[in-house]
Amino acid sequence: MRTINLQLKKKLNEIYVIEPNDLGAQFLNNIYKRINIYFKTAPFIVIVPLSFIIAITVYFIFGYLLIKIVSLLQYGF
Amino acid sequence: MDFRITINRKKLAQIIANFLTALLTVVRNYFLLIVFPYKTVRKISADNDQYQLIIIFGMIFLYFKFIYYLRGKPYPATLLFLIFVINFLITVSLFYWLSKPANKIRFSSFIFTFSYSLLPTLTWFVASSLLYVLLPPPRTISILGRGFSIFFLAFSLSLLAWKLILVYLSLRFSSRLGIYRILYMMFLYMLWFIPCTIFLYHFKLFRVPFI
Repeated sequence: MRTINLQLKKKLNEIYVIEPNDLGAQFLNNIYKRINIYFKTAPFIVIVPLSFIIAITVYFIFGYLLIKIVSLLQYGF
Repeated sequence: MDFRITINRKKLAQIIANFLTALLTVVRNYFLLIVFPYKTVRKISADNDQYQLIIIFGMIFLYFKFIYYLRGKPYPATLLFLIFVINFLITVSLFYWLSKPANKIRFSSFIFTFSYSLLPTLTWFVASSLLYVLLPPPRTISILGRGFSIFFLAFSLSLLAWKLILVYLSLRFSSRLGIYRILYMMFLYMLWFIPCTIFLYHFKLFRVPFI
């Protein structure tokens, strides 16, 4: 029982190591919490499709510029 | 004499065991940072196994050695590595100094979390250099060229987003400050980072800053 209590205490200390974010307004806090969920666990589920959407949009808007950007990035290492 | 050899062997075995444990931890943390970035950065911020830092910085040094031959040998790998380490230490010290008024913060926490936030950077640089060998630029306007360009930009954006998440979480758990203060610190950091990037680009040290 004592071991469980210690483990629980350790876990709670770990979780409450930082105070929750306060953005100054309740609606902002709600938006932050809703968005934050996607980035706390498996963010790539959101990031990868979003990146492809952005890349395709850039291609449709700027066309050849995308190819130039990528060529530039490929020399960037 | 025999006694001394036994002691050294024991020490050596201990060092090897610690190194292998740290290597496994780094590999495990790499995958955990992909799936559970929040929990993993929280755990890393409380870590103090220096072998992990040696492994991460060792991998970066190996990368610089590897690109030394790809880039046509403009600067020695050791020089680039030293510049990177100085840049890294300035970055970490700046954030530590900016968040020092906050209670109960440790410099080592900044070092550990920021070292792990270098993993997306290293992934991007390794992938870019490998793709440079496999599919050398410039890209063409053919269908394959366009397709690859879209893929490469999406890949770069994904890693940039991962990097930003890790940097934000590193600052959040190391400084224990709120989002506004973190954003303010990032803005102040940009005042150093942008001129530094231009300087590094001008002298052809880094085309894309390794940080």
